[in-house]
Amino acid sequence: MKIWTSEHVFDHPWETVVKAAWRKYPNPHNTAVVGMDVVDRKVDDKGVLHSHRLLSTAWGMPGWCTRLIGMDRVCYASEHSEVDARNKQFVLKTRNLTFCNVATVDEVLSYSPHPEDSSKTVLRQEAVVTVQGLPLCNKMESLMTDKISKNAGKGRDAMEWVIDKIKTEAQDLSAELSLEAKKLSTEAKKHFDSVMPHVQHSTSTSNSTL
Amino acid sequence: MNSVGDECLELKKAYEECFNKWFSEKFLKGQTEDTCAPMFRVYQDCVKKAVKERKLDLWELEKSVLGTEKEKKVPDGSEK
Repeated sequence: MKIWTSEHVFDHPWETVVKAAWRKYPNPHNTAVVGMDVVDRKVDDKGVLHSHRLLSTAWGMPGWCTRLIGMDRVCYASEHSEVDARNKQFVLKTRNLTFCNVATVDEVLSYSPHPEDSSKTVLRQEAVVTVQGLPLCNKMESLMTDKISKNAGKGRDAMEWVIDKIKTEAQDLSAELSLEAKKLSTEAKKHFDSVMPHVQHSTSTSNSTL
Repeated sequence: MNSVGDECLELKKAYEECFNKWFSEKFLKGQTEDTCAPMFRVYQDCVKKAVKERKLDLWELEKSVLGTEKEKKVPDGSEK
């Protein structure tokens, strides 16, 4: 059995990080994740959001290779999570479903506000890898925790990418609305001029804010 | 992002759009009533059917895991 842990600080508030977490896939960093479905979701009587998701991953290995090592072409993982908005805690627990008879990977992620700076978010990750019934179990476990560590780095890059994407969407929308407002203002002025040409109007126009 | 069942993709996209909006504008502001629930039920039926057809052992579908004795806990202790 091998345990891997990591801690990372995002320079964004908890709400921003949690919103991005739900929009994490697809992204250019975790290209192996090919499918994601919500299998179950509910809000309990304490106001905590429970979700159960199914993730599909494909590692791009040729068929002969996957058959040789007895691995499926598409692997599945089951993720359970809880979002407690009142206490600002988001915990996710993931376990692989395929390849289970050879290796089991249990991963826990928890996102919470930084205790000293509420504009930042702390991510704690833990993974437990158990390989049974194979010689070189320890070696296999080390290889898998190395892989988990690399993927964790990709996962964090993915989160930053999604957060940027959401911010750009908001800026584009704001620019679009501003442009539409200016157009409407110009049209309204033209219409006013055509209806009341003898009326003097001020040359300065006020900026409309939306 | 694909779905486990291709036939569920459109339902998934519509539900995700609803969920992301609800999560951001309602849930995080303390309004916990899930207004996307009806849309979710239709999508969920499709997913459950696809999972069954692919014979995936999602036993957790019928039981909750977090907070029960079935929840796997990371043991205390250092790396081996």
